[in-house]
Amino acid sequence: MTIAVPARQRGSLVSPWLLILLGQIALTIGFFGLWEIAIRAQWLPVYLYGQPSGIAGKFVTLIADGSLIQSTLVTGFESLVGFVIGCFFGSVAGLALWLTPRLALVLRPFIVAINGLPKIALAPLIIVWFGIGIESKIAVAAIITFIVSLMTAFSGAQEVDQDLIRLMRSLGATQRQTFVKIVAPATMPWIISGLRLNVGFALIGAVVGEYIAAKQGLGYLVYYAGTLYDLNAVWVGLFALMLLALVLDYAVTLLERWLSW
Amino acid sequence: MGEAMAADGDVLIASGVGMVFNADSANPVRALGDISFGLRKSEVLAIVGPSGCGKTTLFNIIAGLITPSQGSVSVNGVQVAGAKGHVGYMLQKDMLLPWRSVLDNVTLGLEVRGVSRAESVEIAHRLITSYGLGGFENAKPATLSGGMRQRVAFMRTLAFDPDVILLDEPFSALDFQTRLLLQGEVQRIIRERGKSVILVTHDIGEAITMADRIVVMTNRPATVKCVHTIELSDSERDPVTIRTNPLYNQYFNQIWSELEIRREI
Repeated sequence: MTIAVPARQRGSLVSPWLLILLGQIALTIGFFGLWEIAIRAQWLPVYLYGQPSGIAGKFVTLIADGSLIQSTLVTGFESLVGFVIGCFFGSVAGLALWLTPRLALVLRPFIVAINGLPKIALAPLIIVWFGIGIESKIAVAAIITFIVSLMTAFSGAQEVDQDLIRLMRSLGATQRQTFVKIVAPATMPWIISGLRLNVGFALIGAVVGEYIAAKQGLGYLVYYAGTLYDLNAVWVGLFALMLLALVLDYAVTLLERWLSW
Repeated sequence: MGEAMAADGDVLIASGVGMVFNADSANPVRALGDISFGLRKSEVLAIVGPSGCGKTTLFNIIAGLITPSQGSVSVNGVQVAGAKGHVGYMLQKDMLLPWRSVLDNVTLGLEVRGVSRAESVEIAHRLITSYGLGGFENAKPATLSGGMRQRVAFMRTLAFDPDVILLDEPFSALDFQTRLLLQGEVQRIIRERGKSVILVTHDIGEAITMADRIVVMTNRPATVKCVHTIELSDSERDPVTIRTNPLYNQYFNQIWSELEIRREI
């Protein structure tokens, strides 16, 4: 997410960026501090909520035995590969539907139906087809992100100013020229917003795949720790997932800067 | 009062153009009656009419975007319906591509026609520098003012050198000062280059300033009510000083009364 920040005001000694950063740090420390106090004062039972100091200890342990890094890499890899496959083919398919409006009309109800289906429900099928290795997680992530990218690219292409398309026609442009010079670049902001949504969806796909059947990954770590009531380990896994989401989101931001016109 | 009918040698000829929408339904809408006129070479012909009289429909037919129910429009003897690229148009909306620079917006039409990159850049560059946007070649449209953007849109139309230029309310989205400025500029360029232009507008003043002849349309279904020849020399066509010319007021009052603008607003 990019958040608009007002330009540094004249006369102000502290830059707004610094203030925001300080605010974020204060919020984090406050949150964990209060949590720790609540546990130590026994306002909250530790077996239901975990404990920041315990989480930190768990974090060190899981880093030391390599399992956290290994799990993060696995989930990151599954999400990233699924994301790239899904976004690429989804965007291409969505744009291609603009070129074949009849096919788009034929496919419309099917796309809507598949979009409405919680893709998680497909997970058992995908496990059966792709096994319990990373392929099935990549597949879940790819399918979810494919549909999202397809929908955003297709709606974006539909929203292209009809006057522009008419202008191209009056210039004698072919369908292909109109597509390459107008529709594809005009749809780019939509495609990018699809990518942004898909960061979350790719992680959901990978983690849910790991919940259902896996031997590694953050989803597996969280799920397994949960069955053992090791809530501190669950939290470590969750924070690692958040971090992964931030990293992927940042990657999309870089991509956006590169692609945007 | 001039004659509307087309003559031999006209660049563009509209003959018996009529348009009915929803012809097959229970209540067909008759937008255009029976419109005939000719556009002479290097002439600016304005089409004015009361609001909702079907100017836009006529515009779309001339631009070849829709096919009339009856009659036809031809440019240099070729029917515009179906044929592309004879008529270049410019609308109230600039329709610049935000992801392209000024230069690349101007070359759009040339690109579509397969003109080489080097040649189109040269053509665009010459237009941009000679018409006051030198230095803005690489600027993105979003950084330009409304007047500058409209100027770029006009250059895009000029660049691929269409036989006929069609202007549809080209300045009506601009503020008053910019509008007058651009009226003067565009009309100077048109005359310098000897372009044949159809100007569709509801602004009578604009029509008198820019046009050699003015076609006045009736209410819907629109037909040609009359045609005025505007006898003003190029030097008298300054958008500001023209307003003090007695002929201007005379034309203005005449056309205003012919427009049958009803007082229901």
